[in-house]
Amino acid sequence: MSRVSEGPIARLLKHGYLWLMLALVYLPFYVMLIISFKDNKQFYNHPWVPTFPLHWENWAEAWDTVGVFIANSVFLAVTATLVTLLVAVPAAYVFGRYRVPFGGIFWAGLIILMLMPGVANLIPLFNLMRRLSLLNSLMGLAVVTAAGGQVFCLFVLRNFVEDMPKEFFECARIDGASHLQQVIHVVIPQCGGIISALAIMNFVGAWNSFILPLIVIRDPEKLPLAVGLFRLQGAYVKQWGPLMAAYFISAIPLVILFAFTMRLFIRGISEGAIKG
Amino acid sequence: MPRERIRFAQVRRHWSLYALMVPTLVLVAMFMYLPAISGVYHSFYRWDGDELATYVGMRNYRQAFGDPELGWAFVRVGILFGASLFKMVPSIVTAVVIHRITRDRLRYFYRLLFVVPMVIPWMVGLLIWKFFYNPVVGLLNRFLSTTGILDILAAMNTWAVKANVVESVIFQVGRNPAWLGDSDLALAAYIFWGFPWIGVIGVLIYLSGLEKIPHSVYECADLDGVGWFGKFLYIELPLIATQVRINLVLLIIGVLKGYGLVLVLLGETGGPGGAVMVPGLYMYYNAFVKREAGYACAIGILVFFVILALTYVNNKLVRVER
Repeated sequence: MSRVSEGPIARLLKHGYLWLMLALVYLPFYVMLIISFKDNKQFYNHPWVPTFPLHWENWAEAWDTVGVFIANSVFLAVTATLVTLLVAVPAAYVFGRYRVPFGGIFWAGLIILMLMPGVANLIPLFNLMRRLSLLNSLMGLAVVTAAGGQVFCLFVLRNFVEDMPKEFFECARIDGASHLQQVIHVVIPQCGGIISALAIMNFVGAWNSFILPLIVIRDPEKLPLAVGLFRLQGAYVKQWGPLMAAYFISAIPLVILFAFTMRLFIRGISEGAIKG
Repeated sequence: MPRERIRFAQVRRHWSLYALMVPTLVLVAMFMYLPAISGVYHSFYRWDGDELATYVGMRNYRQAFGDPELGWAFVRVGILFGASLFKMVPSIVTAVVIHRITRDRLRYFYRLLFVVPMVIPWMVGLLIWKFFYNPVVGLLNRFLSTTGILDILAAMNTWAVKANVVESVIFQVGRNPAWLGDSDLALAAYIFWGFPWIGVIGVLIYLSGLEKIPHSVYECADLDGVGWFGKFLYIELPLIATQVRINLVLLIIGVLKGYGLVLVLLGETGGPGGAVMVPGLYMYYNAFVKREAGYACAIGILVFFVILALTYVNNKLVRVER
């Protein structure tokens, strides 16, 4: 389908612009990849081009350091995402389908949190977690992250539940389905797409979370990826090769995630945007 | 779809509806409301962040309003916000250019290529840039000195000093500029961070807005002889105006709240001489470095009100007509 009629020069300009942008966007990948195979001498002498011999041992060394961080982050992100959605989906069903007494007040109380900056409550949150002995615990961090993810998920999901045809629910009810069963057998299958998209967004959010883990997690062997890498660059500045290999390795879990869910993710964002 | 109404009398039969809401409400009350209320409460106290707290009334707030460093932090946010407006442009342009690619498969391919970099963890992206900026081994200085741009900058600097335009000598021949370690450069380096500033999610959202433009609109424009820029101005920009506005709000909030970036790039003091100290970081610094948690809470509350006011103004001023 032709959107804009154009000459060859315009076409060249468009593609040229996109390739230039892509080159700049992918520059960090290139840099990480080639430096990860160098020792420091090769790096100082030829930073821009590949050099031989390739130092594969950098990658082994990097894996020994970041493997733990990655495992921690996978645990944190999976747990946080599961808790977020397990809690948010049923609530979205109620808010999207019924007007219960006090429901309006609860909803307003949730939505107003959209405006609240995380900064104002950081210190009391830290204190609260200490009182509950959730400091230094990835599980506690996951629960707090899930609490933070509630508002956005509810906001998106509620719209989807509201737009679902009423007949689905009526049929289920005639068959004697309870509210919980309607959530499981009607809402989850029908809103599968947006739920997966939200799952990915929450996963990526937890994967990248930094400030809260920074102040909450103490033990080096419990550090999630972001904090672990942050500490690492302070500690071993001398060895650029292994450091870059570590950066590259830490992108792999998301590569795997996106390899399977790219379509869902793109569609989720597009649909969410149209609704929002 | 109108929602079904449950009356008070029916609540007993539909108690399970509340049961489904309770987990969310408990989580939110416990980990968002409780800390927020405690934050407001402690902003009236002199507090070490632990057990010791003495009531001081409005003193924290008076201190905040008289604190020049906090004032500068807010001014800096203004500068950063202006820069962010400018930094939105590449995402918009990229989305429009991808949208104008005529072949469907090629368009999908480009979109995919722009999404893939999302796999880089946020922290890695930051640390790579920190590495680029490294004065000794960083690739930016390597690039600038190999291409001779550094010499040109030094010459311009010398000339500017002679002409009394600027006072400080930032670039000198034979010396590597410390991008993040020089109080004159840190703010500029921080703004330049992430070049070419293409936000994947932003591009995707704009694209989904653009996809809704019917083909016939373009044909009409062609008949009327509207050029490529006219099409952008009259067809494409109005359609993504809503998304731009949403991004704008997110940007304001992000700039005001976001200090993780500064913390990683420049440390908890906000760089040399506090060159990039922003309100969020100032709060963090007061709480976890100076141990004045009460004052930090007061700063947090002030930031909250500023965000609230800006969101309100934004909603009033930037109304988008459909």
